[in-house]
Amino acid sequence: MGNEASYHSEMGNNFDQDEIKKLWKSFRKMDLDKSGSLSTEEFMSLPELQQNPLVSRVIDIFDTDGNGEVDFHEFIMGTSQFSVKGDEEQKLRFAFRIYDIDKDGYISNGELFQVLKMMVGNNLKDWQLQQLVDKTIMVHDQDGDGRISFQEFCDVVRSMEIHKKLVVFVEHGQED
Amino acid sequence: MFLLLPFDSLIVNLLGISLTVLFTLLLVFIIVPAIFGVSFGIRKLYMKTLLKIFAWATLRMERGAKEKNHQLYKPYTNGIIAKDPTSLEEEIKEIRRSGSSKALDKTPEFELSDIFYFCRKGMETIMDDEVTKRFSAEELESWNLLSRTNYNFQYISLRLTILWGLGVLIRYCFLLPLRIALAFTGISLLVVGTTMVGYLPNGRCKEFLSKHVHLMCYRICVRALTAIITYHNRKNRPRNGGICVANHTSPIDVIILASDGYYAMVGQVHGGLMGVIQRAMVKACPHIWFERSEVKDRHLVAKRLTEHVQDKSKLPILIFPEGTCINNTSVMMFKKGSFEIGATVYPVAIKYDPQFGDAFWNSSKYGMVTYLLRMMTSWAIVCSVWYLPPMTREKDEDAVQFANRVKSAIARQGGLVDLLWDGGLKREKVKDTFKEEQQKLYSKMIVGNHEDRSRS
Repeated sequence: MGNEASYHSEMGNNFDQDEIKKLWKSFRKMDLDKSGSLSTEEFMSLPELQQNPLVSRVIDIFDTDGNGEVDFHEFIMGTSQFSVKGDEEQKLRFAFRIYDIDKDGYISNGELFQVLKMMVGNNLKDWQLQQLVDKTIMVHDQDGDGRISFQEFCDVVRSMEIHKKLVVFVEHGQED
Repeated sequence: MFLLLPFDSLIVNLLGISLTVLFTLLLVFIIVPAIFGVSFGIRKLYMKTLLKIFAWATLRMERGAKEKNHQLYKPYTNGIIAKDPTSLEEEIKEIRRSGSSKALDKTPEFELSDIFYFCRKGMETIMDDEVTKRFSAEELESWNLLSRTNYNFQYISLRLTILWGLGVLIRYCFLLPLRIALAFTGISLLVVGTTMVGYLPNGRCKEFLSKHVHLMCYRICVRALTAIITYHNRKNRPRNGGICVANHTSPIDVIILASDGYYAMVGQVHGGLMGVIQRAMVKACPHIWFERSEVKDRHLVAKRLTEHVQDKSKLPILIFPEGTCINNTSVMMFKKGSFEIGATVYPVAIKYDPQFGDAFWNSSKYGMVTYLLRMMTSWAIVCSVWYLPPMTREKDEDAVQFANRVKSAIARQGGLVDLLWDGGLKREKVKDTFKEEQQKLYSKMIVGNHEDRSRS
């Protein structure tokens, strides 16, 4: 593992050696069939993830090469965006990608509807959801093309101190 | 040829004498005290000696590691990330509040930032989750000379390796046969004893004998595992007509508790050796054994338990409500069945000291026989048992709340983490209801505001 750790710390992510080692441990624990990459089922073997309605979106964002599985490199790059050292732009992009399902750089009406549906399940009727979606797009769409671009998204969300909200702190133990 | 003969008989004689000596020692120092419930303190002395040796070994390793300049200890953490335990509502409200101030005049319904909460929770879980951690054995900070716990301690010096080799020799060639002999004695005495007591007519004599046969055999088994148990608050021990509830780490829990008190056991009827033991035990006193088919019928189980508990002359029932073995760092969800019966609950907390041997039974990794062999080739099983004051269900509490209250008390006493999760998650998936609950919570946040607006 020693070599791999140093390989990854040079790869432009926000973690140091120690943190990568810990994440490697977590990765290995989740990789039940020891295939070297995590499938959706292996992610879903974590009970707390099963109760999270947006988990398929998060996995999709991790999987940058689109092969349906997340290898350790994608894992590190993905979790790195939540590091306390990550910059605001990275985090905004992450949040944007949750909505942008087809990765075309715009959040369309349909995409917003789908994500909202994931979050509410069957507790709201479709027409109620559609109302909310239409209203949101109307309010935030500045150039009038009927969808939300990354810039328009940032304008809304930037004021919300996103760099504090989308952060996971990796703890450091005492060094010997 | 003729020269060898006297030599042969000499060896045979020596063997015979040493065996006799061994068995006499066994009898005098182990079995007789077990029968009378007395202790010579040999096991405590053994424990102190072992601790000294471990301390020396660890010191040696630390020195060796410094020389080679590599890190020896993995820093102890309860997890690798610092989690922020806010709820869905709190966090989303906070995110919205920190947003644009122009939202003050209208109540927001859905905000693009609402996903932040779910994202963060998801990431925290992916990086380090609370639940599956509990299902594998705890990792030690110092080495206890057992190679099975040696994760990151490597070859340091010759002296240490010799010590370890000596340890292996002692454990496998001296302690193991001794323990197997004891276990054998204990179990056969139990079966024979209870069967014989079963022939007596019901009455005080039978009860007295049955109690002592049970206690004696459990004490022998305790010595067979070299279990060094410290009991706290023995005045709170369970009484007749009550239910004794404890956290579950391994099948040895039963032996540990039953060697200090006389309980009625509850369980499924097994085949093989276990079945023989169960059938014998039930002749001497009324234990509650269920057929495999009956176990599924919750009402039947509840009925039988209630009947037993209402008869004040019957013994306290011993139950492990977690339903499965957890690795002794936390207490998981208690199944509510035993808390619905309405009897007084006597909680008991059991905490093992992992330095001498890891008692956790990872049933997906080891079978029962392998597990017992591992137990018998460890140095010792050291644990603490706390008897907590009895609890009863209050008027406005339902069974689940009562179960959680008992669980918290046990977790607090034993220094374990109190978890809400179901121990059954070791094998099954989370029910969809958890996700649906999250969805419902979030919907309320959006819809609640929506309804207000449409009314005005």
